[in-house]
Amino acid sequence: MDRREFLKKGGAALAGTSGALGLPLLTSCGVNTASEDSPLAGRKWGMVIDLNECQSDCTACLDACRHENNVAFHNDKRWDIHWIRKVNIRSKESEDHTEKSVLLLCNHCENPPCAQVCPVQATYKRADGIVVVDHHRCIGCRYCMIACPYNARFFNYKENEEWPNTDFPKRSHGVAESCNFCAHLLDQGKRPACVEACEAIGVRALHFGDLNDPESDVSEIVASAPVKRIRDDWGTEPKVYYLGL
Amino acid sequence: MQVEFSKIEGRSLPFYLAGAALAALAIAGIYSTYLMSVHGLYLSGMTNRVPWGLQISMAIFYIGLSAGSLVVSGLYGIFGKLEYKPFARIAAYLAMLFLIAGLLSILTDQGRVDRVFVKPFTYLNVTSMFSINPSLYSGHVLICIIYLWALFREKGTLTKIASFTVCLWAIGTHTGTGAIFAFVPRELYNSALLPPSFVAAALSSGAALMILVKVAVFRGTGRPLDDKLVIWLGRPLLAVFLVCTLYVLLIENAHRFYLAESREAGTFFLFGGFHSVLFWFGLIIFGCIIPAILLFVRRTGTSVPWVVFSSALVVVGVLFERFLIVIPGLIHPPELFPGWEVTGTVLWEGIVEYSISFYEVLQALGVLGIIGFAFLMGLKFLPLAPTEARQIAPA
Repeated sequence: MDRREFLKKGGAALAGTSGALGLPLLTSCGVNTASEDSPLAGRKWGMVIDLNECQSDCTACLDACRHENNVAFHNDKRWDIHWIRKVNIRSKESEDHTEKSVLLLCNHCENPPCAQVCPVQATYKRADGIVVVDHHRCIGCRYCMIACPYNARFFNYKENEEWPNTDFPKRSHGVAESCNFCAHLLDQGKRPACVEACEAIGVRALHFGDLNDPESDVSEIVASAPVKRIRDDWGTEPKVYYLGL
Repeated sequence: MQVEFSKIEGRSLPFYLAGAALAALAIAGIYSTYLMSVHGLYLSGMTNRVPWGLQISMAIFYIGLSAGSLVVSGLYGIFGKLEYKPFARIAAYLAMLFLIAGLLSILTDQGRVDRVFVKPFTYLNVTSMFSINPSLYSGHVLICIIYLWALFREKGTLTKIASFTVCLWAIGTHTGTGAIFAFVPRELYNSALLPPSFVAAALSSGAALMILVKVAVFRGTGRPLDDKLVIWLGRPLLAVFLVCTLYVLLIENAHRFYLAESREAGTFFLFGGFHSVLFWFGLIIFGCIIPAILLFVRRTGTSVPWVVFSSALVVVGVLFERFLIVIPGLIHPPELFPGWEVTGTVLWEGIVEYSISFYEVLQALGVLGIIGFAFLMGLKFLPLAPTEARQIAPA
């Protein structure tokens, strides 16, 4: 191949690639999420976690979540996935050094940085405010994990061998995931598995409902009690509230 | 000025050995990527707390290197510095290869490589820097091709236009690359100074590598090279880039350290572990200050061996700088509960560790092998290298 031919062929191949890469910028596609007339529209799901009720040695919600959503556990801190997790914290200033046990999960931010940075809109906010991941679209770039300031997103570094709930898909290795408020259950008119599990053992630490409905459990607590959100100052507008934090 | 370009013969034993070694590296890298795509990215050193590692660091290193190459090329293309015409072709060719290396590094780092060629086109998200940048990168490669073609065909006006466009585009490319980090809410990432700091380090590393490549190509093929041309690239060009890099790094870290809200993160970055050693010794002292002094001091700055030595220090220093952009910002935890300390958790909540895995190293070497091989093939099959490069005598 002479120089001219090389340049011609090489140039044509790269021009094609570049054009194909650049074209979508001009013709940005929209993601088909819930439409305005969907039953999801008009709702804004939120959660209140009452830390005064939550028991530090209880793992009912964690176990229920892992089972319901086939969340991978490899018994290795580096790659274990936790849609919901517990951390113990202790005040640096106070004298008594009492510990609090705090449940952490995806905050389903009103302004989710994870969705903002996802290059393929695999992570997006549904019309009802839930931040979900389309595992069939995710390319596994992990930019969402970089952008989430709450460390609430996880990546399937390894294949998940367990599949306890065959009614719900498990994820292949190579894609990101996080809590989705059990969207598949909500769509069936049920409540998230963690909330059900908490109530099943007679505790009312997790409250879940529609923040747009002023008569819902969560709206009433948010309106009347001293709730906090984690790092409200970041402007992400979390939809998970805490009592007793 | 008439400059003769010719292909290199490429029949010597060292040429074949170098080609074979680079091809072997490429195959090893491809095999490592294959293993990761089958078994999962746990084979890398990355974890749920440190989701980006060596490959992303290498990607931004390569992308940065392309900038300096273009600047050197632009000396002839834009500013008409005829004495740099002999370097313009190699510089433009390398700039293109480095961009491709950056794209390959990002590509091989994806969890689902099979989807990369489909989903970004069907579900593009224009608010993502990861969507904007591939368009900038591929446009960059395309303009490099046009520029290279103009250089080959000796088209004066087109060369000027393409050279100017590619240099402007390069600023966008490098600003965009810095923005991948600067535009996310992480304490050690979200600095508006990160994109300019990225550009300054990119120019330094690119110019330094250009010096190394030119000396290697000319000496390796026994072609005459005027020392003055190499020295000017080091002093003032590289030396000035180094001062700019130091200046931006100084302001960025001073700002972080000064403000109470980011002092803890700033302290962690500057004095918090192994990465701090890399920062002070690898980047600041050996990567910037010592080479800058060597270049500014007349005795060493006008000696080719010292200029080459300084350039090698700068390339390694900027490689550390890229690593320092990516990793410390991830191993440093976000402050979720100000005023509280985490005492127990199922996840790594505090400061975590990241160590590069064998498979990641193979991947990185694989990308190096691919572009190294392409560079050798370019020298053999394209008239990239001039037969000689001399300073023009003053009129």
